[in-house]
Amino acid sequence: MFEILLNHYPVLLKGLTTTLVVSLSAIALGLVLGVLLAFGLTSQYHLVRWPCGLYRSFWRGTPILLQLLLVYYLLPEIGIEIAPISAAILALTLNTAAFQAEIFRSGISHIPAGQIEAARMAGISAWQTRRRIIMPQVFRLTLPPLTNEIITILKNSSLISVIAVTELMRVSEQIASRTFQPLETYLAAALLYLAVNLVLARISAYLERRMTGGLATE
Amino acid sequence: MPMADTLSPPPTAKQKAIVEAHGISKQFGDLEVLTNIDFSLAPSEVVCVIGPSGSGKSTLLRCLAFLEPYDHGSVYINGKLLGYEDRSGKRVRTSEKRVDEVRAPVGMVFQHFHLWPHRTALENVTEALRLVNGLSRGDAEAEGMAMLEQVGLAERAGHFPESLSGGQKQRVAIARALAMRPRVMFFDEPTSALDPELVGEVLDVMKKLAADGMTMVIVTHEMGFAAKVADRVIFMDQGSVVESSPPATLFRHPKSERLQQFLNTWRERHID
Ligand SMILES: Nc1ncnc2c1ncn2[C@@H]1O[C@H](COP(=O)(O)OP(=O)(O)OP(=O)(O)O)[C@@H](O)[C@H]1O
Ligand SMILES: [Mg+2]
Repeated sequence: MFEILLNHYPVLLKGLTTTLVVSLSAIALGLVLGVLLAFGLTSQYHLVRWPCGLYRSFWRGTPILLQLLLVYYLLPEIGIEIAPISAAILALTLNTAAFQAEIFRSGISHIPAGQIEAARMAGISAWQTRRRIIMPQVFRLTLPPLTNEIITILKNSSLISVIAVTELMRVSEQIASRTFQPLETYLAAALLYLAVNLVLARISAYLERRMTGGLATE
Repeated sequence: MPMADTLSPPPTAKQKAIVEAHGISKQFGDLEVLTNIDFSLAPSEVVCVIGPSGSGKSTLLRCLAFLEPYDHGSVYINGKLLGYEDRSGKRVRTSEKRVDEVRAPVGMVFQHFHLWPHRTALENVTEALRLVNGLSRGDAEAEGMAMLEQVGLAERAGHFPESLSGGQKQRVAIARALAMRPRVMFFDEPTSALDPELVGEVLDVMKKLAADGMTMVIVTHEMGFAAKVADRVIFMDQGSVVESSPPATLFRHPKSERLQQFLNTWRERHID
C-alpha cells in the first residue's frame, strides 16, 4: 500500500487535488445557496417557502449519482456545454445546498423570536437582522452538522468519476487496473480520504472550541 | 387578515398624543383577545397596565408596536398611522420599512430581555447605532458607554449576556432601547422574570427614566411601583379596558367588581 503511495504519488496527488477543488467549491457555493434557501424556507410568505421546500425535497430525496448524471446529460440538451468538472461542481453544489439549507433552517428556528423582535424594534432591517443577529449564531449552532455535511460531500465526490472527472477515485481505479494491485491501491485511496476528513474534523473541533463564548442560552 | 376597514380620522391635534389608538381589536383564530380598545398617551405620561393573566396586556402592547398586526381600528405614533395605509379607499399593510419609520420613536423592553447572546453588553447597545444610524465604531461606542452608564453598567460593557445577572441583562436591554433615543418606551413585565432581589435595580432605572420625563407604557404586576410612578393606571380584563384612572383613585376606589376582585386577590397573595 505504501509502495503504491510512493510509486504513484504524483497522479494520486493530482486526483486528490481535483477531489478537493470540486468538493470545496461545491461546499462554498452550496453554503451561499443554502443560506438563501434557508431564508426562503423560513420566509413568512407561503409563495417563497413552497418552491424552496420543493427544491429541498428533490435534492434530498433522489440519489446523488442520479443527480450527477441528470446534470451531466441535461445541460447539453438545453444547449449548455460545460466541462465534466464544472458539471460535477454544479451537481454537488445543488445537492449540498439542499442539505445545508435544512441545517440552517433548523438553526434559524432555534433563535428565539424575541431576539428578532428586539432587533426589529431597534429599527434594524429584516435583512440586517438575518446578517448580523441570526446567521452568526446559526453558524455556531450548526457547526457540527455542517462539518458532517462537508465530509459527506467529500466522500460523495468519489461518485463524479462516473462522468469522467479524474479525481482521486478515478485515478485509483486507473492505477489499480494498471498495477493489478486493487486492494493496495484502494487502501491507499481510503487513507487519503481519511486524512483529509480528519483534518477537517480537527479544524471544526477547533472552531467549535473557540466559538463557545456568548451563545444562546435562552 | 385585516379587512377593508374604513380609516378612522387622524388624532385630534388639540393635545399631541405620542401614541393614540382608536377601537383596536385583535383576534387569534377564533379567540378575541382585544376588543375595541381606545388608548392615548400624552408626552411624559407614565401609564401602567395591570390585569389578570391572559387579559390581553401583552397583546395590546405588541399591537401598539405592530409586533402583532391589529385587525381593526388604528394606531397612530406621533400622528402617523402605524402598519396600514389607505390605498384608493382600501386599507392595506405598509412595507416593513414604513413600519420601521413610523415606530422609530418607540423603544421596547421585553420580559425575557432578548439580548443578542453573541454580542457583548456594549455591542448589544451599539448594534443599531451602527446599522441604523450609521455611526462609526468610535462614535457608537462612546454613545453606547453613555447609555450603559445611565443604567449603571459601564463596568460590564465587555461582558457577554450569559455572564450577566437577570437584573443586569434587563438594564442592558433598557440601555439598548434608550440608545435609539426613543420618545416613548414600552415595557412588558420587565421584572417578572427576575429573582425578587434583582427587581429593585431595574425598577430604580425605570423610576429615573420617569423622573427625567420619558413617556412610558408599562405592563406590570408591581402594584407598589405602579402606585408610586404611574400618572395613570389601566386595568384590563378579557381584552377590554375596564378602568383607567390615576393610581390613587384606581387602587383606593375601584369602581368595577372585577378590579375589586383583582386587587383583593393581589393583596391576599402579598400580605404574607
Ligand atoms: N401568538 C398567539 N397565538 C394565539 N393566542 C395567543 C397568542 N398570543 C397570545 N394569545 C392569547 O391571547 C390571550 C391574551 O394573551 P396576552 O399574552 O396578551 O395576555 P397577558 O395579559 O399579557 O397575560 P400575562 O399576564 O400572562 O402575560 C391569551 O389567551 C393568550 O393565550
Ligand atoms: Mg403578558
